[in-house]
Amino acid sequence: MGFAHRTDLLLASYQEISAFLAEVERRAFKQAMFAVRDEHSALDVVQDAMLKLTEKYSEKPAAELPMLFQRILQNTIHDHFRRQKVRSTWTTLLSALGKGDEKDDDFDPLETLAAKSDSNANADPAQLLEQAQIMAIIEQALARLPARQREAFLLRYWEELDVAETAAAMGCSEGSVKTHCSRAVHALALTLKAKGVTL
Amino acid sequence: MTTKDQDYAKKIVTYLDRGTAELKAGTAYRLQLGRQEALARLADPKRAAELRLAGAHAGGGSGTTGTDRRFWASGRLWIGIALIAAAGFGFQQWQAYQQLKDIEETDAAILSSDLPIDAYLDRGFQNWLKHAVDE
Repeated sequence: MGFAHRTDLLLASYQEISAFLAEVERRAFKQAMFAVRDEHSALDVVQDAMLKLTEKYSEKPAAELPMLFQRILQNTIHDHFRRQKVRSTWTTLLSALGKGDEKDDDFDPLETLAAKSDSNANADPAQLLEQAQIMAIIEQALARLPARQREAFLLRYWEELDVAETAAAMGCSEGSVKTHCSRAVHALALTLKAKGVTL
Repeated sequence: MTTKDQDYAKKIVTYLDRGTAELKAGTAYRLQLGRQEALARLADPKRAAELRLAGAHAGGGSGTTGTDRRFWASGRLWIGIALIAAAGFGFQQWQAYQQLKDIEETDAAILSSDLPIDAYLDRGFQNWLKHAVDE
């Protein structure tokens, strides 16, 4: 009885983490992409964040996972920029010795295929194209937002964290979160309006 | 934040959600691999439960967890580093010993030589030796 109880508790925890990561991984990737603007780096960032979560915080209650993961993700993105800064210093020093144009050896044909999505199978192609264009414009506008505004917007509205959780994930005050969110929405609205996009 | 702002944000988020649903297959696959790797770091539930239970039976301990295993995994790394450091230290000691031995041999040769030590330091004697060899 005791053994079964313990096993159930542990399995539930494992399943919760697994389900949580499966649910959050794509959004985390997009968040990382908006920040680092490189697919490979974004994938590395998300994987690092997932590893850190499972290594260090696997015994936390499931309710804390979203906020913890977002905090880890933001820190991992910041770490990426720190490392990139150090690396770029060395790259600048050694650039004279390196070759300029190198073709990408890691080309993967799978990358060119869109993942199966069951939502748009029977949609009108013109409508799909329009949506894809709006999506691209929105993503570009998000990528151009100041980092803190983008973080606040994505955590608050996309990840649906409340103001306090967003503030904890970002390491700032709740007032700052509200300001960042407000500015982000207005900046996005202006950019989209300038591009002729009405939502 | 006004309600209007929040509504606008929600509309944007709807598009973002569509964007995530249409990720490239390669990207989605790599994310899946990353997740699997991360989950593999978690303790295997059944095994961990058995070990935890065994630990509890053995005297109320918490048993062996994934954290413990990671500690031992990193322990191996530290043992490796310690071995390399010990090898470096040993090599340095051996070199110092060899140097000392060379000095001892030189000292012994000088002391056991027929010539007095001052002769080696006397420039005139060295010049005489040089000339003697040349002739």
